[in-house]
Amino acid sequence: MTSPYTACAELVRQLHLAIRQLESHAMAMQTSPLKGREWFELLTRKLVPQLSDDAFLVVGVVGGTNIGKSVIFNHLAGCRASATSAFASGTKHPVCLVPPGFEQKHDLASIFCGFDLHAWSEANAALEDHREHRLFWRTNDSIPSNLLILDTPDIDGDVRVNWERADNIRRCADVLVAVLTQQKYNDAVVKQFFRKAAEEDKVVLVVFNQVLLPDDEPYWPVWLQTFCQETGINPEFVYVAPADRRAAEENRLPFYLRDWPLRESPNNLVEQHSLKTDLSALHFSTIKLRTLRGSLRTVLNERFGLPAYLAEVRSRSEEFRTASALLSTHELAESREWPPVPNPVVVQEVRNWWQAQREGWTKTVHNFYNALGRGMLKPFASLRDRLQGERVPPLEQYRQREWQTILDTVEKVYERLQWFSELGNPLLQPRIDRLLNGKSRVEMLELLKTRHDLTDLEFEVRSLIGAEMEAFRQESPQSFQLMKWIDHGAAAVRPVTSVCLFVTGFGPAGHAVQSVAANAAVQFAVDIASGTVTAVAGEKALSETAATGAGLFEAWFRRLHARFAAKRAAWLGRMLKDHLFGTLPDELQAAISIPQSEAFQRVQFTITQLQKEVTAADG
Amino acid sequence: MADSELAQIELFAEIDELVDRLQRFVEMGSPWEPLSHCRAILRRLLGRVETLRIRLEAPLVVATFGGTGVGKSALVNALVGRECTRSGRERPTTTLPVLIAHPETNLDALGVPLEEFQLVRLDVPILRDIVIIDCPDPDTTEAEAVDTNLWRLHKLLPHCDVLLNVSTQQKYRSARVSDELRQAAEGCRLIFVQTHADRDSDIREDWRRQLSENYAVPDVFFVDSPRAMLDQLAGRRPSGDFARLQDLLTSRIAASQRVQVRRANLLDLIHSAIGHCRQHVTDHLPAIEKLEAALETQRQRLHDAMTARLRDELIASQGLWERRLLTSVTEHWGTSPFSSMLRVYSGLGSLIASATLWRARSSVQMALIGVVQGTRWLSAKHQEREAESNLQRVASSLGLDDNLLRESQLVLNGFLRDAKLTTVSSGSKTVQELRQEAARVEGQFLGDASQRIDGMVDDVAKRRSGLLIRLWYETLLMSLVVFVLYRIVRSFFWDSLSDPDKILPTHFYVNAGVILGIWATILVMLFTRRLRRGLQRQVETLATELARQRLEQGLFPGWEEACRDIHEQCRTLIQLGETATQVRDRLAIPSSFGAPR
Repeated sequence: MTSPYTACAELVRQLHLAIRQLESHAMAMQTSPLKGREWFELLTRKLVPQLSDDAFLVVGVVGGTNIGKSVIFNHLAGCRASATSAFASGTKHPVCLVPPGFEQKHDLASIFCGFDLHAWSEANAALEDHREHRLFWRTNDSIPSNLLILDTPDIDGDVRVNWERADNIRRCADVLVAVLTQQKYNDAVVKQFFRKAAEEDKVVLVVFNQVLLPDDEPYWPVWLQTFCQETGINPEFVYVAPADRRAAEENRLPFYLRDWPLRESPNNLVEQHSLKTDLSALHFSTIKLRTLRGSLRTVLNERFGLPAYLAEVRSRSEEFRTASALLSTHELAESREWPPVPNPVVVQEVRNWWQAQREGWTKTVHNFYNALGRGMLKPFASLRDRLQGERVPPLEQYRQREWQTILDTVEKVYERLQWFSELGNPLLQPRIDRLLNGKSRVEMLELLKTRHDLTDLEFEVRSLIGAEMEAFRQESPQSFQLMKWIDHGAAAVRPVTSVCLFVTGFGPAGHAVQSVAANAAVQFAVDIASGTVTAVAGEKALSETAATGAGLFEAWFRRLHARFAAKRAAWLGRMLKDHLFGTLPDELQAAISIPQSEAFQRVQFTITQLQKEVTAADG
Repeated sequence: MADSELAQIELFAEIDELVDRLQRFVEMGSPWEPLSHCRAILRRLLGRVETLRIRLEAPLVVATFGGTGVGKSALVNALVGRECTRSGRERPTTTLPVLIAHPETNLDALGVPLEEFQLVRLDVPILRDIVIIDCPDPDTTEAEAVDTNLWRLHKLLPHCDVLLNVSTQQKYRSARVSDELRQAAEGCRLIFVQTHADRDSDIREDWRRQLSENYAVPDVFFVDSPRAMLDQLAGRRPSGDFARLQDLLTSRIAASQRVQVRRANLLDLIHSAIGHCRQHVTDHLPAIEKLEAALETQRQRLHDAMTARLRDELIASQGLWERRLLTSVTEHWGTSPFSSMLRVYSGLGSLIASATLWRARSSVQMALIGVVQGTRWLSAKHQEREAESNLQRVASSLGLDDNLLRESQLVLNGFLRDAKLTTVSSGSKTVQELRQEAARVEGQFLGDASQRIDGMVDDVAKRRSGLLIRLWYETLLMSLVVFVLYRIVRSFFWDSLSDPDKILPTHFYVNAGVILGIWATILVMLFTRRLRRGLQRQVETLATELARQRLEQGLFPGWEEACRDIHEQCRTLIQLGETATQVRDRLAIPSSFGAPR
């Protein structure tokens, strides 16, 4: 036969694939896993394996510990298929009765996915403890050809894994034989279990077990009424079984059918009923349709189904966006005065560059006089060294000062991060705390220090000056004036360079960079996430003084300093990005973009399709 | 007074002392968050201990505990032999808890909120020494809210002394009930009862197995309450387990046992609370240990930096060494011709040095100059410069520059955060304060170092100017002097008489003086060179020795102190826990009661 939901089968399969993909993306957002969510389990355990198949019914005997589930199961089996015991929580793994030839036509493993299937060998096997979920199955000749009957572990005992197994059977079942007793019908966990079954529109047969007949005859309807009200279950059949331990042990416990809802004049028949016969008489295809529809509805439910999950993903992503915006709209650190590279070094480098430009006999002459000069000065220099101690080379002094500035900046970055952490954004806090802990600080400082010590400052200066001088020669024709002005320029210029560190890479923050106060000093905003530098007021300061020749050179000097500071600040920015923040910006960005991802869109699209199909099928 | 009674009193005194010690512990303060958390827990505990002490002599409160439908009310009715709490087939039956007491019992002493009970007064013997409460069930409530059964139960439990834990074949492994029992059982004696003996199989064996993981289970009763009720209504004495249970509740919890039961409960409470606190503190202690390790690392870093700088400076300051050694040698030598030569030399040197002394570049050189002269130098410096800039100078002279200090602070702030020493870390030091701390550290280091240098100088001076060496140099010097003197004496006494032409001319004296001067200088030079020999090796040894030393206090003495204090308090907590365990083990309680392990 074809069910009206056959068309849904393909969609459900696609949906399942798309969701798995989405989940692998959504890991970055720290959403709780899909496994264990009711709708997802239903999708995996009920809809995917059962939608396309022809109608067979899965019947599960469910209930609390030690209330006679196995007794009722054995009644259904007609033999001692499941072990019974006076002690509670006996059955640890489900036992399934399979009609002959069923397993050839169907794949049992896909019907009970998540369970290790074992052929039934003896009744006690289901009582043994195993970490993995097992399911024991045996062929039973006496049950109809499209009926699977299962005995399940308890739903309220102190062995929690039993609950999980029972839940999994409930999800794939169509019919539940709910075993209730006067002690347990009102227990919180029991009610919760059956409420879910009601939401999924399972067909429920209630067996009220251990009823003290005839004393309890007036009471059980009251108990059942409470149960139905609390759970929303509307039982198909209601049976009453007496508290008769001997009969239960001998597998001849009688079941009395009762009218439900109660009629005016109840017929308290004592005629025994066979549950199996009643089960066989059920309208299989109708029930199958009903439970599939129930499961589909649960999956598609706006409040607790898949759409709710999508909404959760979306709002989570929004939270990440907020966190990211929080980071990007605040400047991370500021250094008012980046140390200028010593002018003698610059002058020396300019001279060196100049010297390298000389050619022919001038070069020889100059080299001779330079060598002579150095030779004559040498004794004086060594005397000075002896008297005043070894002189620290100026670039090393600069390195010291720069390290001081870097320390300043790092200190401020940590302070700012602490502030971010104290804002208590739940997404940022754990990540930032990880950056702030002592061990990562030690590592960060050590790394910065090593890298800083390894930086070849002389090379940096030389390459910058080479480029600048080249540009200068091309820009200004009177470059021969250079040597004249060079000392003059070096004496006049002492630029103040400020650096702001921004974390703009976490989101759009252009306006934040613009808001840096544009005073006379040269200012830079270093975007930590990309390591790029934006000059805010530097070029303006340059053009103002560049009118005259000497002024031009001064301006050139100023620009040189500024460029150098910018280069160093960008270096610091890159270091902080790579080693302090690490993958944080990428993580945030990945989480933000999930709702735009292909998997998300596909899930959403498939849901809409599925909803249409379901509405169409329901007519 | 009997001995056993005396022992009891002694034990009670011990409990009181334990409570007092707890009180004192709670009143101490700590900047460490986990300890404050423990204090909060113990403060609550002490509140409960106080109410227990107040009602020490009041009748014991026996309460039923168990899932819905296990027959709690039926059991209570059967125990008192009257139908006084509604026991029925409708579930749940008991919502308003019932309190059953003897008409003469003064209920005010119990401290129970009486308005929340349905009160029943019955004149039956079993109620003479106890009060029975029939509690609501813990397992029908899905989410605890006001006016649910679970909420009512939780409000009642702190007032109970003995729990009658009632269960059945169906319910004895119910997860919810066992979870609730674990919470409820703290500070209570337990009696385990399986009901429905008329219908159910005996599962006591399995139940006991399950229970013994968490509880001491001396006995489990298997009772048929309806039958016992019928027996009593018919005027028969109940039999079997029910009779034993009744007997336990009437005779064994007699007035004499009350105090013991309550004390035992109290000790259980204290024991479990301290256990919880200990666990909490132990979980967080590694962070403190990490902080200590970090403090130690930073201290070592400072120490290494200072040692390295000291070594370099000592090796570089050859001139100062020489003067120190010379001074020391002349002190040992006493008065003699060669030593006066040395003194003259060193005096000349000092004259030059005193000029350079003002320019002594560092505190290391100061240490080398020696304590006496150094102090003079320092006081002069004090007048010359402001104290602040001086501190700065001293601090940076030993290699503790600002960067080093700030790196330390930056790293340690992280560790403080990890350790949750929040209140301490809030006062991060300014560079100025850091410098002062560094100056203190350096002072401490230098004090030690200069002592060692003094010792070393003394040692070297002694070794390099032994008797033989002294004799040798004296002889060398004196041989020339003697020769010159011989010539003079001979010239004066002999030649002047025999051959006046041979009288030494005046320029002889000049020549002799010059030669004597040169000779003396050569000798002094040789001697000082000898003194300086192997100095480098000596300095290296000194440096390695110093490196092995440990600074008494690092840059952050406050934090170090805080860590020590935390360890101290943790030890106190552990001691308290041990005392509680000891007293608990010694207190003899009626063995027929179960209790949490």
